[in-house]
Amino acid sequence: MTAATQFANPWFQWQQELLDQMRNNAERARVLPSLLERARRIRKGVSASEVVYEEDRFKLLHYVSDKKPRYRTPLVFVYALVNRPYILDLKKGRSVVAHFVEQGFDTYLVDWGVPTDADRHLTLDDYINGYLVNVMDFLRERTGIKQANVLGYCMGGTMSAMFSALHPERVRNLILLAAPIDFATQDGLLNVWTQSRNFDVDKFVDAFGNCPPEFLQASFLLLRPVQNLLRKPIDFCEHMHDEKYLDDFLATEAWLQDNIPVPGEVYREFVKYLYQQNRLTRGRMTVGKHIVKLENITCPVLNLMAGQDDLVPCAQSAPFNDFVGSRDRKSILVQQCGHIGLAIGGRAQKELWPQASEWLAKRDS
Amino acid sequence: MSDQSENFIEQATAFQKIWMESMSKLMHAAFTFTPNSAPPELLRDIRNGILQALAESWNEFLRSPQFQDGMKQWMDNAVAFRKLSNDFMAKARKEMQAPSREDMDAVMLSVRHAETRILDRVEELAQQLNDLNQQPGGPARKSAPKPAGRRQRSARRPRQRAATNGKEKRP
Repeated sequence: MTAATQFANPWFQWQQELLDQMRNNAERARVLPSLLERARRIRKGVSASEVVYEEDRFKLLHYVSDKKPRYRTPLVFVYALVNRPYILDLKKGRSVVAHFVEQGFDTYLVDWGVPTDADRHLTLDDYINGYLVNVMDFLRERTGIKQANVLGYCMGGTMSAMFSALHPERVRNLILLAAPIDFATQDGLLNVWTQSRNFDVDKFVDAFGNCPPEFLQASFLLLRPVQNLLRKPIDFCEHMHDEKYLDDFLATEAWLQDNIPVPGEVYREFVKYLYQQNRLTRGRMTVGKHIVKLENITCPVLNLMAGQDDLVPCAQSAPFNDFVGSRDRKSILVQQCGHIGLAIGGRAQKELWPQASEWLAKRDS
Repeated sequence: MSDQSENFIEQATAFQKIWMESMSKLMHAAFTFTPNSAPPELLRDIRNGILQALAESWNEFLRSPQFQDGMKQWMDNAVAFRKLSNDFMAKARKEMQAPSREDMDAVMLSVRHAETRILDRVEELAQQLNDLNQQPGGPARKSAPKPAGRRQRSARRPRQRAATNGKEKRP
């Protein structure tokens, strides 16, 4: 029997598969005892950084590099309030922050900190017109440059868009990464579940204060129950003998389980004014005493979206470019990518971030 | 028959329908394969098909009015339970003459209101000062005007760490 006919014969293939599986099982058994220890050793943020500014629980991290930055305008990453920001600097080879530092940008990351019960009354006004304005003032003093480049991810993107609309003179370039802007769509399950007939956010916040992290975690888990509760464990069992897969899996899972509460009033504003009333695109969103008008954004805008995003569907992010007053605006849609994959996925690291940094470099030189 | 039992039957029928459709999709996925596929690959294809069908059915179910009703009921119960436990704890603390969460919230709110009033007044004064500086013959302007919407959260100067002193390098 020739090799070709052997391979075509299902019987041989079954045997080969059986042997492969036995070998893999032995590998899995070897890895299993060290899993907990490895999970414990996961580092939260890998690039070298220093805290340059603090206020209450808020911190501004500056990423240090051996090389002098090539671009003078500081780049500020603004992350959401629902998770920890180190997803943007998760591990070597999967760090958005490291990419920009390597490209010569003077990079900063906003870490909102973990709110306590005393922070339940903090509003979007405090975050946008308070902390973010103070950060920009600090950066102006530190670098001598009046404007900064802002990159906002997820809810941080929405907040960055509001900030850019309220303080256009402070933002040189704006990059949004999977940022929900237009809440009219019902593509995402969160949009369906948070409709006012399904969810009374006032009662919820009055009773709970801050939005509990367990509640957010359960909501995110339910967005893709089969993927999260079946496919993921199956894939894990199948690939746990693969060192690279295991590293990526543990780092991502450690971050996913690291939820933090959202200040009650911010949660109320976000759900009520955005998810339920879609005020931002209607020009009726108020932050403190000021109305957010997206047409006030006139700086260059780059809108990055993921085709497979369950948390922030494309229909929620894509309309942003139509609402802004900028003439220089661009969107990039990565089709085979999810919400987190857009930041840390292999394809995003290879294709998306080089494009984004090139876009920014052209507008910063 | 009461409205409640009718509603229950309706929900059960809708739930059953979703699961019947789901099972039929599963069967369809499990037995749709090309004869050229190698057996181990075939098993993976079948598994992927099953998971895909399941995911679609779940997505449909999670969007259904039945699920939304159930979720609303569950949320109402959770909120009611939380209120009950808040009230109980407030009473217990009151008996012990200790401040309850409500008391702390009331204090926090008073501080917030005071802070808002002070900041609003500071903003007004800054605006007036700016207007005065803008007038011809007015005092020379030393700094750029503050843009609308600026809100200094804390009256004290924000803590700032010098790069050399407060260095918290990671790793």
